[in-house]
Amino acid sequence: MAAIRISKRRFGIAHFVGLLLILFFCVFPFYWMVSSSLKDPQLILSQKPTLTFQPTLENYQDAFQRNVGGSLGISLFVALTTTALSLLLGTPAAYALARFDFRGKRDIWFWFITNRMVSPIVLALPFFLLASNFHLIGNPIVLVFIYLTFNVPIVVWICSDQFRGIPKELDEAATLEGYNSFSIFWRVALPLGAPGIAVSAIFCFIFSWNELLYALILMRRETQTAPVVATSFMSGYQVPWGQIMATGTLVALPVIIFSLIVSRQMVRGLTMGAIK
Amino acid sequence: MRRFFCNFIFLLLSASTQFAGAWSLEEAAKPYSGTEVSLIFLDRPGYNAIIKLLPDFEKRTGIKIKYQIVPYENTREKEELDFSSNGELTVALVDLVWIGEFAEAGWIVPFEEIKKKYPDIIDPNFDINDFIPLILNAFGTWQGKVYGPPFDNYSGLLYYNKDMLKEAGFDKPPETWDELINTYAPKLTKNSKYAFALQSRRGETQSCDSFMRFLWPWGGSLLDAKFHSNLGNPKSQEGLNFRQSLEKYMPPGIVDYDHSDAVNALAQGNVAMITEWSAFYSTLVDPKSSKIVDKLGVAPEPKGPDGRKPALGGFSLAVASQANDKQKAAAWLFIQWATGKEIGKQYVEAGGISGRQSTYKDPALLAKYPFIQPMLDSWQQGVPEYRPRFSEWSKLTDIIAEWGTKMMLNQVSVKQGSDEIGTRTEAVLKDAGYYDGKKPLAQ
Amino acid sequence: MRKSGRALRTRSEARLSGKGKLMPIRAVPRKTYSNGVIFFLAPAVIVLLAVGIFPLLFAVWNSMHEFILSRARIYALHGQPFLWFQNYLGLVNDAGFRESLFRTFVFLLINLPIQLVLGLLIALLLHKVGHEWLKNICRVSLVIPLATTLAVVGLMGRLMFNSSFGVVNYAVATVISLFHSIGPLLQGHFQVLHGFWRHVVPSNMIDWLGNPNLAFATVSIMDCWQWTPFCALVLLSSLTLVPPEIEEAAKLETDRWWQVLWRVQLPFMLPGITAILILRTADILKMFDVVYTMTQGGPGNATDLISVYVQRIGFRQVDQGVASAQAIVLLIITIILSRIYIRYFYREI
Repeated sequence: MAAIRISKRRFGIAHFVGLLLILFFCVFPFYWMVSSSLKDPQLILSQKPTLTFQPTLENYQDAFQRNVGGSLGISLFVALTTTALSLLLGTPAAYALARFDFRGKRDIWFWFITNRMVSPIVLALPFFLLASNFHLIGNPIVLVFIYLTFNVPIVVWICSDQFRGIPKELDEAATLEGYNSFSIFWRVALPLGAPGIAVSAIFCFIFSWNELLYALILMRRETQTAPVVATSFMSGYQVPWGQIMATGTLVALPVIIFSLIVSRQMVRGLTMGAIK
Repeated sequence: MRRFFCNFIFLLLSASTQFAGAWSLEEAAKPYSGTEVSLIFLDRPGYNAIIKLLPDFEKRTGIKIKYQIVPYENTREKEELDFSSNGELTVALVDLVWIGEFAEAGWIVPFEEIKKKYPDIIDPNFDINDFIPLILNAFGTWQGKVYGPPFDNYSGLLYYNKDMLKEAGFDKPPETWDELINTYAPKLTKNSKYAFALQSRRGETQSCDSFMRFLWPWGGSLLDAKFHSNLGNPKSQEGLNFRQSLEKYMPPGIVDYDHSDAVNALAQGNVAMITEWSAFYSTLVDPKSSKIVDKLGVAPEPKGPDGRKPALGGFSLAVASQANDKQKAAAWLFIQWATGKEIGKQYVEAGGISGRQSTYKDPALLAKYPFIQPMLDSWQQGVPEYRPRFSEWSKLTDIIAEWGTKMMLNQVSVKQGSDEIGTRTEAVLKDAGYYDGKKPLAQ
Repeated sequence: MRKSGRALRTRSEARLSGKGKLMPIRAVPRKTYSNGVIFFLAPAVIVLLAVGIFPLLFAVWNSMHEFILSRARIYALHGQPFLWFQNYLGLVNDAGFRESLFRTFVFLLINLPIQLVLGLLIALLLHKVGHEWLKNICRVSLVIPLATTLAVVGLMGRLMFNSSFGVVNYAVATVISLFHSIGPLLQGHFQVLHGFWRHVVPSNMIDWLGNPNLAFATVSIMDCWQWTPFCALVLLSSLTLVPPEIEEAAKLETDRWWQVLWRVQLPFMLPGITAILILRTADILKMFDVVYTMTQGGPGNATDLISVYVQRIGFRQVDQGVASAQAIVLLIITIILSRIYIRYFYREI
């Protein structure tokens, strides 16, 4: 008995250390970025990286002078809208693929993911032509729609697996009670599929937020998204490290906040399964 | 009475010719008030300078300037996408290596055409001959036609750390590359400090800054008169071998150094000399980014056996063909104003580099900015085809960038690398039709 | 109880016919559900088709024509030359394309397993009961690497791996000096280890970005940093699909966590693993921003991955025709690889 207790405790410690390592691994480069953004530009380039220093907000001041604030708003609009739309379109499709049976299902399921496989480099020109024909250049709505092409597949793929894992007895029980398929989807599948939905929402948000190529080509100065502004400092000659790190931090923060909010769903789903 | 009448007529006539002959920006711009001019700017001092002066132009003319700041790496692709699909840019920002391509593609309007079509907007004071001949030729002219005046102008300069040189026993910078490598470098490379840093990162940095710099001063070149590869020429080989032997006086990992790394190496006091673009002067004298503000020395680039052939780079502004009539006129008014004599001095004070000789006639200006004199000297002696400006350059620059870095890494010998570049370059030029007369030999 | 674990695996295996072909989910009386299919699927399909089909067809069309952007005016007058499959055939002769592709596959073969395995370990650690508050923090922090803009990741890599003032070399130097200070305690062993170390790392300033092999490693490290959390998150949500009773039962059966993993958890994670394989393969073949801002494909050719090459053709040599052909070839390769992944890894739960 004592042996089992000891080994369980050792395992507990290993678990703890493992979690700490994960934390370090994820956070350290980010910490470095944030601390560089608070350093005097001279310090960033000095011989010995310093761990203690006088923080300064001048990099952030410079960053805000470049209209980073406005671009954060645009990015937020685009990312939230496209995430919402992707979930709206993707979750029913995922449910259909998980539950229903029909000809060509396998192919449609595969087709969804192929939308994500073509390099944006050769799609940039066609999208540009399309957008300029509809006079949408500079309008963030066009980005919302283009991003759907890679967000909906993610939602579909992750959620369809999630829905498939929901025991069918629940569905059958609900049918017996007289619910139609849409209600089953709404009341049974969605809540139980929350972890997958949460994860795919996070991914949609992240990928839309950080997308560079289409945003660079299709937007104008007033409607540039945050990553475009963050990288416009790269004039090819200068690399203003402090400012870039500052804008990089600012650009990453909303994503982290969004994930914080959404990740509660992931935990909820975990316990849901046990309750059933 | 008659005399009075004659005088009166005379006065009247002279007064009317005064009014008729006087050209003013406000007058010329009246028919175009409210038009929008759309263009791309880079995040560099020259552009920030003109942005500061923009409100004045907009107030006087009513023309709106809509600019967008884009990283240099993406500028060409954005412009090309725009021009090839009837986009909205009305002014083209033309890097000197793009002018062949843009002109041949018909995307920019020659100055002569603008003069013919809109005689009223041409400022008689514009004086195109006031521009320094080399840069007007190199940045804004293609096959004899002028497309636009030079706007953002650079020259390669030698920046050095006066203190480091003094410590090693030198009270002036090296005059020639030979001096640099034989006399200066050994004494300056010790205790983890190096004599020189050459920005050599794969990309335009390698082909322009690193590779070309060691061809021209030795009398070598990329292409000969018939556009065949001239890299096999002993003079070219001598230059490239010189670069290899310079490597031991440069920090390790030099092949990855880009402009900011080389400038920073000097600014932090790790390296004694660099040959970089004139635009970096402001970074090197800014206490926020440089530790050697009061130790900085500026001189023209060292001479090679064939003389002084400094690096040449810059941008011109041209009117885009896809603009409609009103926009073309408004665009030219803007370009004319931005590169005009009137604001030359203001522009320099705000951080820009004017391309006009008249701007630099002011001794006070020259004294205030010590990099101007070496820059002007360099522009007297440069080579317009430092980098060939034809449309095939985009292919050639990639070939040179790849093999130039391989040479520096010693993955291939100088001879092998040069032969590879030569073969591939000739293949590209052959495809393009330079060898069978389909295309004129213009670079 | 052991039976249920094994039975489960057998049931999933039974879903495959002897030939290894995937069978559809067996149709238990479901006719009552099939009416609503259209309404569930149609919106997504219609929107994706509307937005995505034109650009794809345009790219295919481009790949069969000559399309150099600077000749746009000539095309307007004379039309674009139709090239049949010349652009595609040209790729066979293009040594640069072949080398880049090879290099990208090497990158894939090295990094994908690492990301998958590490992601799996992380997911397991986060799934295991205990240390709830730390787990929550970890789960959120997983998002941080993904949240960083790709171009900024590249720049961060430059900053951290810089040989003179980068923090990585600083850490290496600290470790070495630590090593030196405890050296006397190791005596003879120290000499051997020290000699070995010096042989591998000639100087304290490791040239991460200037040495071709190390540059490749640096890009790999940044890629793993960014995408291992992606794998972890997907696998974590897959782990939630394991019915808790079965998991509990298996844990009571055996003390060894890897047996629980192999027999019980893994079968449920196979769809997630397949998704990761496919998505990461597609992404690495499209990978551009990080490499571009870190090394631009250099030094030499060391980090010239295939999409860096395609971008060079498509936007610097503005030859959209050849670039489109290359992208279509990459698409075909990705589809083939995906089919292979699905055949060997995918099991329906």
